[in-house]
Amino acid sequence: MAARTGPLTLPAVVEELLSEMAAAVRDGAPIPDEHLLSLKFVFGSSAVQALDLVDRRSVTLISSPSGRRVYQVLGSSGRTYTCLASCHYCSCPAFAFSVLRKGDSLLCKHLLAVYLSQITRTCQQLSVSDKQLTDILSVEKTQEA
Amino acid sequence: MAETLRRVLNLGIAAGPGKNTAEAEPPLLLLGGPGSGKTALLFAAALEAAGEGRGPVLFLTRRPLQSLPRRTGPALEPLRLQKIRFQYPSSTRELLRFLCSAHEARGPAPSLLLLDGLEEYLVEDPGSQEAAYLAALLLDTAVHFSHRVGPGRGCGLIVALQTQEEGGDSGNALQLALLQRYFPAQCWLQPDAAGPGQCCLRASLEPGGLGPREEWWVIFQPDGEMTVTRRPTQAVDTSSHKGSSSGGQP
Repeated sequence: MAARTGPLTLPAVVEELLSEMAAAVRDGAPIPDEHLLSLKFVFGSSAVQALDLVDRRSVTLISSPSGRRVYQVLGSSGRTYTCLASCHYCSCPAFAFSVLRKGDSLLCKHLLAVYLSQITRTCQQLSVSDKQLTDILSVEKTQEA
Repeated sequence: MAETLRRVLNLGIAAGPGKNTAEAEPPLLLLGGPGSGKTALLFAAALEAAGEGRGPVLFLTRRPLQSLPRRTGPALEPLRLQKIRFQYPSSTRELLRFLCSAHEARGPAPSLLLLDGLEEYLVEDPGSQEAAYLAALLLDTAVHFSHRVGPGRGCGLIVALQTQEEGGDSGNALQLALLQRYFPAQCWLQPDAAGPGQCCLRASLEPGGLGPREEWWVIFQPDGEMTVTRRPTQAVDTSSHKGSSSGGQP
């Protein structure tokens, strides 16, 4: 997330991995294998699923004239999940369960896909009105699996 | 002493003069049992921030304050009060709607966002995702205000949450742990032994990795004046310290 203002930031080693990846892909190169391996090591199966979401251009950065932004990720099931841009929150059930409740995972695959899309610059962009952005933020609550 | 209070609540990290002030201070969770002074401290922070001239202060609470919390001396000027905007979302839904639409508001962005009584909004929907959603939206709203405020210290966020006595049910413990993930900086308030007519609180600040734990005594005099005294913590013990008031009176 662009504004890493504290809450729920990733552990330093993960931050480092992501910034190394960002540096490596800066000139349009694909993500180096060693980074992909590290990603899988840290995030397990979520890494593969997240990379898949990135490949399919599933992440959209939505912004309004106010400057406020939010992400939406088109999940593999066809369902769209909303991820905040400022801190770790995703409306998917896996986030509620694995990240919040059990603390097993750092991120759900959607949040990881957001990070990776930022790094690879493959976010779609969408501009909406301020009111539409309010609506998008308002339906963020858990969507059924 | 108000400045000291400001530091208490805004992680001024008094020991760090070189602190990067380009970012907003980390969001802070103010915790304590009923009557532990959370509202008073929140209000004092509001007055302090209002006096800085950086932007209005937004104070969210479920019910209008019946009376202004104990006076904080000369800081209670009408001009400062005018810069504090009170909003009274009467339900969780209203609070959420307010936060989701915060970017639609025109006018100067607030320099400080305060929420008193988070527990009242969580009681309606105690599930963990709902609590996370509310916490995350509070953060997101403050971040948005920070961007609008522009370079400088951005918009701070302080949220007060009433905690139960020890031995509360585990559901609350889970909820608290979840909120602590979104608010790594916390300040605990506890009533403390006080002199006659005084009300004394012990404020214990955990900056969440940004520095060591710091403690203060917050004392309300009979006339309402509030003073804040640093409490030495080198002994790092949480057991009784009554009677050893080594902090000097201002």
